[in-house]
Amino acid sequence: MSLPSAYLEEIESLNREVLKTDPADILQFCANYFSRRLESERAQFLLSTDRHPKMSGSTFPGRLGTNANPFGGDGTGVGKEQMSSGAISKVMEEEENDTITSPTTSSFAFTKGGSSTFGAPFGGDASGDGPPSSFKPTSSEGFPAHYGMGRRTSVSAESLNPTASSNDNWSPPFHPKSEDQIARLKKSISGNFLFSHLDDEQSSQVLGALVEKPIPAKGIKVITQGDQGDFFYVVEKGSFDVYVNPAGSLQPGLDGLGSKVATIEPGGSFGELALMYNAPRAATVMSAEAGCTLWALDRITFRRILMDSTFQRRRLYESFLEEVPLLSTLTRYERSKIADALETQKFPAGTAIIKEGDAGEAFYLLESGEAEAYKAGTQQSVKQYAKGDYFGELALLNDAPRAASVVSKTEVKVATLGKDGFQRLLGPVESIMRRTKYEGSI
Amino acid sequence: MSPTERKEVAEQEKQFVAHFSEQHDPLPPEEVSQAPRNKELGRSSRALTVHDFELVRTLGTGTFARVWLVRLADPAPEDRDKVFALKVLRKVEVIKLKQVDHVNHERQVLADVAGHPFITTLITSFSDHDSLYMLLDYCPGGEVFSYLRKAKRFDENTARFYAAEIVCILEFLHEREGVAYRDLKPENLLLDAEGHIKLVDFGFAKRLGNSKPQYTLCGTPEYLAPEVIQSKGHTTAVDWWALGILIYEFLTGYPPFWNQNPIEIYKQIVSKPVHFPNEPAISEPAKDIIRQFCTVDRSKRLGNISGGAQRVKDHPFFQGVNWEDCYYRKYRGPIIPPIRYPGDAQCFDMYPDEKEGREHYSDDLKRKWDDHFKDF
Repeated sequence: MSLPSAYLEEIESLNREVLKTDPADILQFCANYFSRRLESERAQFLLSTDRHPKMSGSTFPGRLGTNANPFGGDGTGVGKEQMSSGAISKVMEEEENDTITSPTTSSFAFTKGGSSTFGAPFGGDASGDGPPSSFKPTSSEGFPAHYGMGRRTSVSAESLNPTASSNDNWSPPFHPKSEDQIARLKKSISGNFLFSHLDDEQSSQVLGALVEKPIPAKGIKVITQGDQGDFFYVVEKGSFDVYVNPAGSLQPGLDGLGSKVATIEPGGSFGELALMYNAPRAATVMSAEAGCTLWALDRITFRRILMDSTFQRRRLYESFLEEVPLLSTLTRYERSKIADALETQKFPAGTAIIKEGDAGEAFYLLESGEAEAYKAGTQQSVKQYAKGDYFGELALLNDAPRAASVVSKTEVKVATLGKDGFQRLLGPVESIMRRTKYEGSI
Repeated sequence: MSPTERKEVAEQEKQFVAHFSEQHDPLPPEEVSQAPRNKELGRSSRALTVHDFELVRTLGTGTFARVWLVRLADPAPEDRDKVFALKVLRKVEVIKLKQVDHVNHERQVLADVAGHPFITTLITSFSDHDSLYMLLDYCPGGEVFSYLRKAKRFDENTARFYAAEIVCILEFLHEREGVAYRDLKPENLLLDAEGHIKLVDFGFAKRLGNSKPQYTLCGTPEYLAPEVIQSKGHTTAVDWWALGILIYEFLTGYPPFWNQNPIEIYKQIVSKPVHFPNEPAISEPAKDIIRQFCTVDRSKRLGNISGGAQRVKDHPFFQGVNWEDCYYRKYRGPIIPPIRYPGDAQCFDMYPDEKEGREHYSDDLKRKWDDHFKDF
């Protein structure tokens, strides 16, 4: 006589568990296993004999994908008006008595929600009849083409600390280049979103850090699909072919490269994702001729340049802001928000940055250069400004016209923030003023 | 500790673990990190080892971590049903992927915030030669991600419910704790047995002392804020950006910026406004709150501008929400997970077993790195 198949199934499944877990105490493990199985089977039995047996067809956890309305709603008659929106209802603790009710039955939500006397606290824009739109069988129409429905992996670059806040004396590598080369490089990267927002200083540091990399022969793989990537490249001379293997990485054999999808000519660039974080290369790039030249930049260098200059500028702004009496009552957190929002502007020598009589709309911190204040009817400047000085801060307070003009004496760099921006971040200045009495200048 | 002492301490700690309970009512936000009962939570264990637990099955995997459903090994009869989630991190992988700082931040932040109603509770942590362990409360409902993909999209009431609970989390993390979470997405939102949110995976969470901006690029491509992509130094404002993306994905089923090539996603994020499809129809308040969160200029981004989280709560999208009731879990969750028995894991996907032949944590590595893991 053969053993019952249900028994064999149980034993096989136990075998798998034992293999997987390799328990120390075999007997205890098996006992635990069977008592769990028993619990589970009983729970399932209860589910299947519940008063809505038809619902057992749903394989999806929860009440989605069935005709259940997860927010209560129509059908119960009780509290229909309040519940007509199918809104989420409050939990009534005293009704938690029906412990066997299956969560997969449609009545589950109704018995709880239906007796709620509360209104529709999460709004009421859904229709009261029929299931909410999200639970109708929706087609994938409207979804982006090739949209990946899988779990998304988090990405992360190396954590770096700003040089200024640590003890090491890092300065970006500098590889000299001709003016021609600089101009070409500038043009190549200017349209790239990773570079387009850099200021002049960051930009020149990045250009200086690019290192020349000769690729002498044809057929040299500069980057290999599927490999981890650390470098970004700009083509100086020669051309490079791009291959993508649908398998996601370079495969052995003749066809391992996959198909050629593009050719990169001088001025073109590739591998920019490597400047953000360490990710597998999406393609293989191979020299298409002999005697090619590339410029290369690695992620750590790139990120340090950006981080250090951002960090320094921010520290500068915060220390400037501490000096402004009008803002002396701001907390560090508030100052930091303002520092975040400051924008850098540059003016050539002899520019009127603010004009006497104009409505004041922004205040300025002088980051570099010199400026002077003039009043109408006087030849002499009434005030001198150097690095770290500020002007126009009364614009934050009132709409009174500017009391003087400020003209750049040299080329200047200022950090500026408008009244609007200030108020958006911190609310009306008047309330900050109330924290202290302030006697201003301009 | 002598072996007998160790055994005794382990027994005490097992008792603490077994009697850790989620049955308490939530404490007011200002008391969460002060309450004595929560201070005990999240401490490093003195004697527990992985052998005090029975690994039941895998609940999730990451690049260097695996989360197991576990129960106590040799439990007292009354503790047989008690289950937990054990996050196991391989030291070798953590070092190789340069995530040492991140795992330490994760342990620290979780210990600090233990007891918040919508954040996973770190009960205790420990380590052995190869691995770091974090013992967490088990959220049997599985990932909001799974429900969303199955349903394709949520209606506005469902989206509003989850968004409201997340607003409570961000208000607490940003304004009380000074912590930026930095990896908001449906994959990191679990449901507890009652259908409330539990935020998990604090691998990128970071305390921003004195609101010092952060420079480490981290997060999930579709959810990265523009200032992260452009390395401008970022603050808690990145979480409000991500909440905008999240609400959009709840309502449409996909994120607003998407392409197979991540570089193309980033180009869109820094330059394109959020575009709404004709189908499904999205209400004006929902569109407005998404646009206000997904604003490149941080001096205009809702949540970051004056008023902070309160301003978010006052937005028309949340009209009618009683925030007090929301925090104290008085609203019924729109999805009640079908839990059949304690330790039921049917709401979680199955994951393949761990690959054999993992890299060994050598004595060399141990000498160099073990000090970095001493907090576990």
